[in-house]
Amino acid sequence: MDKSLWLLMLACALGTFLLRALPLLWMRRHLVRRSISNSTEAMPLWLTVLAPTMIAAMFGVSLVPAHPGLSSWLATLLGGLCTILVWRRTRSLGWPVCAGVTVYGLVVVLLRLLA
Amino acid sequence: MSSVEAAKSSAWQQGARDALPLLGGYIPVAISFGLIAVQSGFSALETVLISTLIYAGASQFLFIAMVASGAPLWLVLVMTLLINARHLVYGPNIAPYLSNSRWWPLLMHGLTDQIFALAHTRLPQLAEKDRMSWYISAALIAWGSWIVGTAVGAIAGAEITSRWPLLGEVMPFALPALFLVLLAPRFTSVQWTLTMLITIVAALVLKLMGMTNSAIPLAALCGVSLFYLVQAKLKAEGKAHG
Repeated sequence: MDKSLWLLMLACALGTFLLRALPLLWMRRHLVRRSISNSTEAMPLWLTVLAPTMIAAMFGVSLVPAHPGLSSWLATLLGGLCTILVWRRTRSLGWPVCAGVTVYGLVVVLLRLLA
Repeated sequence: MSSVEAAKSSAWQQGARDALPLLGGYIPVAISFGLIAVQSGFSALETVLISTLIYAGASQFLFIAMVASGAPLWLVLVMTLLINARHLVYGPNIAPYLSNSRWWPLLMHGLTDQIFALAHTRLPQLAEKDRMSWYISAALIAWGSWIVGTAVGAIAGAEITSRWPLLGEVMPFALPALFLVLLAPRFTSVQWTLTMLITIVAALVLKLMGMTNSAIPLAALCGVSLFYLVQAKLKAEGKAHG
């Protein structure tokens, strides 16, 4: 990379960092002004709704397989079902993900063998 | 070990445990990034530095693609920041759970989509003194895996993807599985269930339509609008009955 590309990369890195850090500082000041720094009550409602919907949107986007096809969609469905079933039993984070990935992989392999 | 040390150690361990599922999603994508960046003419060192300093998946792919195609540098900067603009809402949402330590703003470098999703669920459940240890541990695992994955991809990506193609296909399912586990406890009322379902479907459809980068903010806005609509309807019904 030449000098201008290095500067561009640093500007992108700094800009991305500021997008993450500055809103935190703004909200801190907002919470201090409201003098209830340990409460979510000072948060605007739209912001508390936006957070879970952003996670839901990430989930929706991540559901689309890299190579969409019948087998990958079926594997996604069964892997997702398995994830939710294991979550209902364990209420943990790691085991449902492990089980979901395992079932997803098994379905992909089985369907490939059958084909 | 004193109880304080024990609590500290368990917060570190819990952060690491919580971040482990992320590796399934991060490493294959980081390997792909490393491979594509080297193929686009970047050196292995430059590729690793991009992952270390920018540390934002989608925008990194865009960065190397636009630079390789000779796009104007200002446009590369604008597009990179536009893609990452969704990060604006992450810090404020976890702010109520953070202490006034001056380190927190610096630690926001590690606040990716997935770390935000994890932190938004886990931080409220932790004691205040454990939150920074938990966050640093989880964020370092994620950041480290992204950097190591990029290095592996830049150095040996072509060989790995040709030898174990199935691994790269299966492991990324860890990300939707993780998001599903983080979302499951939020289906607590008709209003939230409707909001979540519509957001998920909107994001899925937008992604299938090829709107990869705008799918997340657009679907989230769609969900927020629906939340307010349902709330207004419930209020109106409450007044009518009341």
